[in-house]
Amino acid sequence: MRELAGYLPDIGETEFETKILTFQSKNETVEVEIPFLTTEQMDKVIEKVKKASAETLKSFSISEIVSIIDQAIVRLLDRDSLYRQKAEKLLPIVTGYDEEIIRLGLTSYLKTFRKKELQRFLIEDLGNPLLLDDFQPRVKGGFSKALGPNVFTHIWSGNVPALPLWSLISGLLVKAGNIGKVPSAEPLFSGWFAHLLVEVEPRLADCLAVVWWKGGDEEREHSIFEQSDVVVGYGGNDSLQSLQNRIPVTTRFLPFGHKISFGVVSQSSLDSRKTWQSVHQAALDVVRYDQQGCYSPHIFYVQHGGKVSPKEFARFLANELENFQKRHPRRELSMEESVSMAAWRQREEMIIFSNPNNEVLGNQANDWTVVYEENNIHFTPSSLNRVIKVIAFETIENILPYIAPHRSLLQTVGIAANPNELFEWAELLGKTGVTRITALGSMTSPEAGWHHDGRFNLLDLVNMVDIEAAAEESSEQFAPYVD
Amino acid sequence: MNQQQEIVQHVFHFIQADASGEKDFNELALRLYAYQYQYNLPYRSFCMQKGKTPRTVKTWKDIPPVPINAFKDATLSCTGPEKAEAVFMTSGTTKGIKGKHYHPTLQIYDQSMTLNFKKRFMRDIEHIRMGILFPKEKELPNSSLAHYLALAVKKFGTKESHYLVNENGIDMNRLLDELHHAEETGEPYALLGASYSFVHMLEELERMGKTFSLPKGSRILDTGGFKNQSKELELNDFYLLLSTTLGIERSECINMYGVTELSTQFYDKGNESVPSVKSGPHWIRTRVINPLTGEEVPKGERGVLVHCDLGNFNSVTTILTEDVGIELENGFFLLGRVQGTEAKGCSIAVEEFLKAASKGVSE
Repeated sequence: MRELAGYLPDIGETEFETKILTFQSKNETVEVEIPFLTTEQMDKVIEKVKKASAETLKSFSISEIVSIIDQAIVRLLDRDSLYRQKAEKLLPIVTGYDEEIIRLGLTSYLKTFRKKELQRFLIEDLGNPLLLDDFQPRVKGGFSKALGPNVFTHIWSGNVPALPLWSLISGLLVKAGNIGKVPSAEPLFSGWFAHLLVEVEPRLADCLAVVWWKGGDEEREHSIFEQSDVVVGYGGNDSLQSLQNRIPVTTRFLPFGHKISFGVVSQSSLDSRKTWQSVHQAALDVVRYDQQGCYSPHIFYVQHGGKVSPKEFARFLANELENFQKRHPRRELSMEESVSMAAWRQREEMIIFSNPNNEVLGNQANDWTVVYEENNIHFTPSSLNRVIKVIAFETIENILPYIAPHRSLLQTVGIAANPNELFEWAELLGKTGVTRITALGSMTSPEAGWHHDGRFNLLDLVNMVDIEAAAEESSEQFAPYVD
Repeated sequence: MNQQQEIVQHVFHFIQADASGEKDFNELALRLYAYQYQYNLPYRSFCMQKGKTPRTVKTWKDIPPVPINAFKDATLSCTGPEKAEAVFMTSGTTKGIKGKHYHPTLQIYDQSMTLNFKKRFMRDIEHIRMGILFPKEKELPNSSLAHYLALAVKKFGTKESHYLVNENGIDMNRLLDELHHAEETGEPYALLGASYSFVHMLEELERMGKTFSLPKGSRILDTGGFKNQSKELELNDFYLLLSTTLGIERSECINMYGVTELSTQFYDKGNESVPSVKSGPHWIRTRVINPLTGEEVPKGERGVLVHCDLGNFNSVTTILTEDVGIELENGFFLLGRVQGTEAKGCSIAVEEFLKAASKGVSE
């Protein structure tokens, strides 16, 4: 099976070198062919996108853009549509994730980009979305308009399906020309979305491009970044650092590094009836995309003192993960991943010798692992792929000192607690660097208008143009109707 | 005779024999298992946790393999570690902790090494003039490789054999003298040492523009590998360069594969093509398993190597490595050590976290 990836505006050329990425899962193979442009071709693409963004995209009203995105999303939510079918068929092979996990994940993710969510998105960041269309009066006096970049470059990474939509849609909402570099781990979805947008609104044809080049190609990246107004980069800190070194100081760089997330379960939620529900939701957060998301939990801290003990919580969680393994089996692991996971589990098993209250729970095939730890609060990442720690604690203050040193790596906390605790804990966790607090079961699906890593999705992309009150007043004296 | 002495005697005779059948190997493996289960307490806990007791373990293949990392966390010895004649330590560390392998006596280690070395490296000759590209045993008292090489020199080196490294690295003058001497006299010469030392040596010789044509019968033994050993091309380049620089056939360039946690080494029959087939003597057996399930993979498929070394009478016979390999009729392909895995998604990987934490940049 072969699938063309990427999307190119019309630059008057039809011959492109391509790169073929081969993906294999179980018995199926997909070859993904993606255009690999020469520097000259890339320059033409940038020129085209820049021009179309300035002349075409910026002439759309924000409500027109919202409606175009909404129509594209509606098609993707329709399981009979062409691109949705492609996604359901090919993404499991490309990423290795379970088909049902992908199907459910796509739906829950895509529906956060419906018209009403996009409107919320806009209001959340801008207050008045018309700022994107026209100069709007300000409370302080004067007028302002929010102007998006002409060229917005995205360096996507990772294999979590459809993740590039966040920044791509943000770019569209601020009327930016978008150039995306697909990750070789999931090169398809962003290109499909670009094609779909152009099918919905053909006038967008030259406003975006989805391409590939080898990460670290200094000359190429330097030239692209030079011509971009804003660059958003996803990836590990090392690769972000090297991107940053190639970005001129006049180009705005928005780095999103790898993050670590966790859960906190209060004793107030641990009664015999409600615990099952929390455990089920917690297991879902682990199972979805096998913890590969930045919002996926590495650890659940579970409080002593409830009707259900932390140790029992761990055992329930193990049971739930085993159930999920039957319904939604884990992605097949590479030899490297298998070895590191086996080594991780063996290490945990050895630690039991010195700490007999610990438990390592797992099945014969190592499909998942729950490690229970007592009297040893710490904060270390899981080896992922359904490996989770349950660590018992007494009070939230016991945990904080271990989390605080990792401020820049923190993101989501899934919480099961009563309303008082929710706000008290949120206050404390926020101070240590956590930027998102949500319910167990929702960790992997941030709501529309969330602040990704604590930042604004749209505000960070735009420049505000102010007409100050002085200019407005002074213009009055030159009006033809002046007395 | 106490129990340890009896065990040592049994192992000694087993190794001394020319070969062994499955039945004999099994018998000794199970005897050692029962002994280690009884006296090596951390190992016993490990086995109990796996539900593997001497009563349920019926063949050497059932013996639960200990991951090499466990040598860092636990004292795996049937006798008090303070009584050990030698403690070999791993060079790699996790958080500054080295793996330790306790040998209450080196009798078995030395016997295993010499018999095997003679058969696989010396072959047709009794002694050879040696040059060692590795520090002396005195300087690295906890290095099993230093001991191995010292033993090689002592048992099989002529008295003109030399160590060719000093505190500044390779003693190039000495090395050049030795190589010239071999060329002039026609006396076969053997260079032995760590693979990375050979890489340095080759770089130096290339810089000097020197090549040699060592006499027939000369040979090389490298061990330890260098980064990305799994890359066939790099290995191929290495042996090509060794062969052309020193004028030694690639079939005379032997690679030894050994780990601190074992008492026995594996060798290939030269490196005419890479990867070469590695094999060991009759007192060590290797299985290739799926690391997740612990089950053997079908012959010809990649998996992780598990070695059962009857020379390991005191620690544990059976270890689980992090080396990837493929089982063959007459041995196995060693495809190199598994490198750390990178994050697939946007969640942080353990290595990256540790790196960030150690730099303090995560604060």
